[in-house]
Amino acid sequence: MRTRAIEPPRVPRESPVVAMAGLLSVLLSGLLPLPAEAQIGAVVVRSPRPFGLFVGDRFGATVEIEAVDGFAPQAASLPKPGPLTYWLDLTAVSVAPGPARDGNRLWRLSLTYQTFYAALDVRRLDVPAFTVTFASEAPRATTSAVAEVPSWPIGVSPLREIQPPPVADPVEYLRPESPNPRRDPALPGALAWAFAGLGLAGLLALARDRAWWPFRHRPARAFAAAWRQVRRQAVRRDAEAAYREALLALHRGLDRTDGRRVMGEDLAGFLVRHPAYAALTQPLDRFFRASREVFFGRDPSLAQRDWPMPDLVATARRLAAAERAANAGGHS
Amino acid sequence: MTATRRSLARVLRRAWGAVRPALLVALPLAGAAGALACSGLVWRDGSANRAIAALEAGHDRPVAADAVPELLLARIRFLAARERLDEAEPLIAALDGSGSPALRALAQIALGNARLRQAFAKLEAGDLEPATPLVGLARQAYRRALTLRPEAWDAKFNLDVASRLVRDFPERGREQGEEMPADPKKIWTDIPGQPRGLP
Repeated sequence: MRTRAIEPPRVPRESPVVAMAGLLSVLLSGLLPLPAEAQIGAVVVRSPRPFGLFVGDRFGATVEIEAVDGFAPQAASLPKPGPLTYWLDLTAVSVAPGPARDGNRLWRLSLTYQTFYAALDVRRLDVPAFTVTFASEAPRATTSAVAEVPSWPIGVSPLREIQPPPVADPVEYLRPESPNPRRDPALPGALAWAFAGLGLAGLLALARDRAWWPFRHRPARAFAAAWRQVRRQAVRRDAEAAYREALLALHRGLDRTDGRRVMGEDLAGFLVRHPAYAALTQPLDRFFRASREVFFGRDPSLAQRDWPMPDLVATARRLAAAERAANAGGHS
Repeated sequence: MTATRRSLARVLRRAWGAVRPALLVALPLAGAAGALACSGLVWRDGSANRAIAALEAGHDRPVAADAVPELLLARIRFLAARERLDEAEPLIAALDGSGSPALRALAQIALGNARLRQAFAKLEAGDLEPATPLVGLARQAYRRALTLRPEAWDAKFNLDVASRLVRDFPERGREQGEEMPADPKKIWTDIPGQPRGLP
């Protein structure tokens, strides 16, 4: 910045008339497009392989347009994908700004064409010329300039000799049809096996957690075994015996959980050692009372009236659930 | 720091305790559902392959429009080989909706081949007039195939055959060595009123 300040002004002093004319030209430039040479520099068409093209081949071209910085190509003026001539389609167009240099910016237009020219011999064809309108991005001015992209040659090649050998049936000129593509069931098959393995592993984990069949006698699931036995007793016809058996099953569950015999007066100690069952203090207390009534009392049927079988079953179920939640990780 | 870590661990443990029972039930169910769905896909692929083999062997099988794309293509080829193109049209529309560009290109090639075979039959019989629009239809089909898949070499080859057909066929050898006209539009009549890209 400083060097510029030292430099003398480059623009020579103008007489008022010239200044007026300059102003007029600036005003006019807002309305009329300026000559393209002013804002548009060199236009170069590059193509990686513009020769040896067979019918149906796609080929790309990059058009590099140098424009004064601030000018950008207008999207509406770009060539539209679609048929250009009877033998040429434009399949894709994209534009991207390149690096700026000396106040000029290089715009890259990427074009993909497809030729449908069924050539009999190697020949040159011309890809049609087109124009791209550039507009200034300045907020008030609508200056525009037109870049002329020249037509450029490509070389198309034939696929076959000019006069193929005669055949009995002209259908023999055609390519034989390829075999039908088949479905490949390998991927869904592998996925099915993977899902089956996952499901089986999940089922094993569930069986271990609920102490189902191969894990029936899991020490960490004493109440699960008790609940299973209680459920079996609940459907028996002989209610008296069933109630006794169910009580015994719960006793066994408590004993196995604690590792020793648990009696009614040990309940507080048991709950201290196993705080997971603290929420079940009241049902456990009633269980011990019912047990005393049945095994040592005078009238065993009294216990069933006080603490009926459904309550017993519910307590067993809650004990099993508390057990699962307590030792989720589970030591065997 | 240690306190927050310990409380975080407790929160995580509690969350795990809440999630665990549901997860244990959901995992086998999800596995079973996935295995069933994938087995269904395997079965569908297997039955489609059997139907394709039957169609290739020349046994007609009815194919619904919602069949897998490969089976649609096999049926389209079966119908095209027997010049039952009217029946093939809805299947081609279905394939255009569901199939990959490569399969759609193969269907267009089959269509072009069928038209070209019809044109050959007319030319062999000496009917030059009706052969021309048939060749035009074949060329359109090959061109669509190449638009879908530029590396479809069968389509390129057959488009070349179709493009030279009328020039070569009527008086073989007459144009030999001549410079070929560069504008096939003067030779090929297009069907009027056909929007581009539509069958």
